[in-house]
Amino acid sequence: MTPRRTRPTLHTRRLLATAIPAALLALAPMNVAPTAALAEPMIGTMMNRYGLPGLIDTPTAEMLPDATLAATVSVSQLDERTGLTFQLIPRMSVALRYGKFDSTEQRRGYIRDRSFDLRFQILDEAENGWRPAIAVGLQDAVGTGFYSAEYLVATKTLNPRLRVTAGLGWGRLASSGGLGSIIGDRPGPDEGTGGQLNANQWFKGEVAPFAGVQWKATDRLTLAAEYSGDDYACETGDADNCARRPWVSDDDPLKNNINLGFAWQGGPAWQVGGYLLGGKHAGIQVSLALNPKQSPYPSGLEKAPAPVRPRAAPAADPEGWSGAWSADPTAQPAIQRALADALAKEGQTLESMVLTADRAEVRIRNNRYMQQAQAVGRTARLMTRALPPSVDTLVVTSVEDGIPTSSVVMRRADVERLENTEAGQIANAAVLTDAVARPAGLVGTPGTLPRFQWSLRPYYSTGLFDPDEPFRYEVGAALSSSYELLPGLLVKGTLRQRLFGNAEQDAPGTMTVEEYEAMSVEEVTAQNGGVYRVRSDGRMYSGNDSPQVPELTLNWYARPTPTTYTRVTVGLLERMYAGVSGEALWKPVNSPLGLGVEINRVRKRDFRDAFEFIDYEVTTGHVSAYYEFGNGFVGQVDAGRYLAGDNGATLSLTREFPSGWQVGAFVTKTNLSEEEFGEGSFDKGITIRAPLAWAIGTPTKRTVGGTLGSLNRDGGQRLRVDGRLYDTVRDSHGTRMYDGWGKFWR
Amino acid sequence: MGEILAMTVTFTRGLVAALALAALAACGNTRSDGPTTLDIGRQLVGQVLSGRQSAPAAPAPDPQAMAAEALAVNKGPLIMVGLESLGTTQVLALTGENGGMRTYMTESEQAVILRGFMLTGTRGLGNDLSVAEASGTAALVGAGRSGTAQRTMRYFSADGLERPLVFDCQIGPGPRPGVMIEDCTGHGLSFQNSYLPGAGVSRQWIGPVLGYATVQTLRP
Repeated sequence: MTPRRTRPTLHTRRLLATAIPAALLALAPMNVAPTAALAEPMIGTMMNRYGLPGLIDTPTAEMLPDATLAATVSVSQLDERTGLTFQLIPRMSVALRYGKFDSTEQRRGYIRDRSFDLRFQILDEAENGWRPAIAVGLQDAVGTGFYSAEYLVATKTLNPRLRVTAGLGWGRLASSGGLGSIIGDRPGPDEGTGGQLNANQWFKGEVAPFAGVQWKATDRLTLAAEYSGDDYACETGDADNCARRPWVSDDDPLKNNINLGFAWQGGPAWQVGGYLLGGKHAGIQVSLALNPKQSPYPSGLEKAPAPVRPRAAPAADPEGWSGAWSADPTAQPAIQRALADALAKEGQTLESMVLTADRAEVRIRNNRYMQQAQAVGRTARLMTRALPPSVDTLVVTSVEDGIPTSSVVMRRADVERLENTEAGQIANAAVLTDAVARPAGLVGTPGTLPRFQWSLRPYYSTGLFDPDEPFRYEVGAALSSSYELLPGLLVKGTLRQRLFGNAEQDAPGTMTVEEYEAMSVEEVTAQNGGVYRVRSDGRMYSGNDSPQVPELTLNWYARPTPTTYTRVTVGLLERMYAGVSGEALWKPVNSPLGLGVEINRVRKRDFRDAFEFIDYEVTTGHVSAYYEFGNGFVGQVDAGRYLAGDNGATLSLTREFPSGWQVGAFVTKTNLSEEEFGEGSFDKGITIRAPLAWAIGTPTKRTVGGTLGSLNRDGGQRLRVDGRLYDTVRDSHGTRMYDGWGKFWR
Repeated sequence: MGEILAMTVTFTRGLVAALALAALAACGNTRSDGPTTLDIGRQLVGQVLSGRQSAPAAPAPDPQAMAAEALAVNKGPLIMVGLESLGTTQVLALTGENGGMRTYMTESEQAVILRGFMLTGTRGLGNDLSVAEASGTAALVGAGRSGTAQRTMRYFSADGLERPLVFDCQIGPGPRPGVMIEDCTGHGLSFQNSYLPGAGVSRQWIGPVLGYATVQTLRP
């Protein structure tokens, strides 16, 4: 089969579009002075105490550069705030914050509280006109609403060093200096289980003005002064003006509504600042910002790929061109061996190969490169060096967990002709297809199966946001091994030994470990508002000093049709559950849509012993739809039954970057009532994944990151089984393959 | 205070254990390869302490001696490339030829790709030039004629795309006989390449981060 000359697909069109030199410099990783980026809306220079671009306490209409991920820690005499901000799209910032503030009404003497903000820039500033940038924002829009406020704000650049801001604030921003209310009274804060959108409060109650000015004294130093309506009523013991009694504390009142501050930009990635609130309370803060679209080593530090070797003229190698060599039974083993060795040096495993006189297909497992296209490109280069000249069609099939997931079909002449040219050209000449299930003449590379692999690595596990112990951690050694018997059939296991940490075994609530262990499933359910503790007793599983087996499974992956993948996983599936998990996924290689179904029958594992169980058994399952919206946005809906037997759905939205970065958020709502669910009302969280190669330049598929769940509750909890199909097959499917295609010749 | 002290102690002990752990870090035969935890730590610490580019560890060897040694050891075509921004000079050997394009590599497998005397790409330097399209310049310089040409230079950026920078260039003879100068501007950047094609010597701009490279043919 020779590849058709193809119509440019959606993906390749995008690649070729990069040839049009429009608005491109803004994102090029240049050391050129950071000229205010061209295509972006008004960018802030200073982070406020809420971790968003702004002044000190008040917001501005500024944004961060698209895709920026920023962390801010602000510590004052009144409170501590740790926030994470993400520029979701050029015009919208979202922030998640963890605050700690004093309260004389609490046993602990303080309250820790999470909050979520959103800011949208409605209008960008007119560069040569009078129109300022205008933004609208919601502060602490979900949950208890300690920082709850809304604002409409305008910011104008008067000259390159001077920006002025004025706006109207509701809620906390109008706790003093109110002008009256426009749309009715502001209801009191949510006294119940929290976790709900506070939409009934938005833009209600008193409205107060705020204003400020920021002046870039030098390229690194920015000074700010503001008038803010926030007089910190709760913190300073003004119980009459504090929305909720339990929030009242006894700090000294502010002298006035003027806040002064500065920010010093220490480097492209960090700034430090300080401020004085109301002439009374001082504070400091640090912000770190990084951007998945910019890397210290954008093109990577990997070794150069082998050059393409063009074929000799037919006259110089008549035998090679005739294809007569293919009749020689020793030819394929020798070629396969040589290619397998060369690929191994590139971090690729040659699993199997089909070789005929005019066509070669290699099936590779990519163990090194984050971008599958780079693995494919390097493999194609090596094929031109290893194959006799009569081989005219090159097929590189990607294999994940033993199953072929996609094939890139290229004409050898195109590979020779287009080496080291603009990547879009070879993208257009190559064809990405579903892999053929089991092509005739497929020969496994001798010595690859059965395959035993093991590794001994340190592990770190952390738990955040516990009010009593905000940072829990455990460090130890993990021995992982896998044994692949046949393509797609493997046994995997991990053995962990804790070395040290402050994460101890702990029962939920005020119970002791012994008391909790003595309770039956029915008693636990009754004590927990009618819902069994499927996750909220997670800390019962930590703090164990003896060796642990977090997982030990038999996995079987298959591909019954060219566009359908299946998985069966049996054994100790995760630290808390064991059983059987089955999954099927329909995902054609070039389709943005994927559909899946999963069903699990699991039993809860014992808190300590690897092979003992607790008397709780449940069947869970989901139907899932996955959709790639383009521009890196991927949505997922899972509907079905969760671990506590509750029914509902999870909605996730992830923004992913070609470098391998992923930033996502999810919400789960099930048929548990808010009372049954408890604090938080429904499950939600964010996930962040960063590729190591992005940070250090050295090629590796390893990533760091995790899920920041809101609260470990029992409603809407899914089984955490390893190796779900969608993420397994996607690296080599259309969107990801073409997103990384710029690395084909690299 | 007592609590803080206790915590410090735990952390210090933790640090020692962590170092021990890192020492045994990541052994095994797993195929998914990449740097070990220790490598990563070392590199990240290096980045934080010394900025992006580490200083050359040893005093650079004398280029003349290096060239002479390379010529003696390697009988194939060789070039010597100096990166001005990094202050390094290395000898590269021809590893492949495709059409008019030649790929030269250092011992540590960093590559420079030339099309004739024109620098067309680099590999393995972290801020590589993916490809330079400058056939107009090549023709004018080769013929020793003055004129204008457009040059497109493509860079792989961390957002996954090859970003082209397009420059307008003025080509003409330089002050010294035989030297051709290419003056390019675009995107607020400007650079000046100089070529002495007959002698196989040139100074060419790689990109905004890496700056200029001097290329000298040791053995064609």
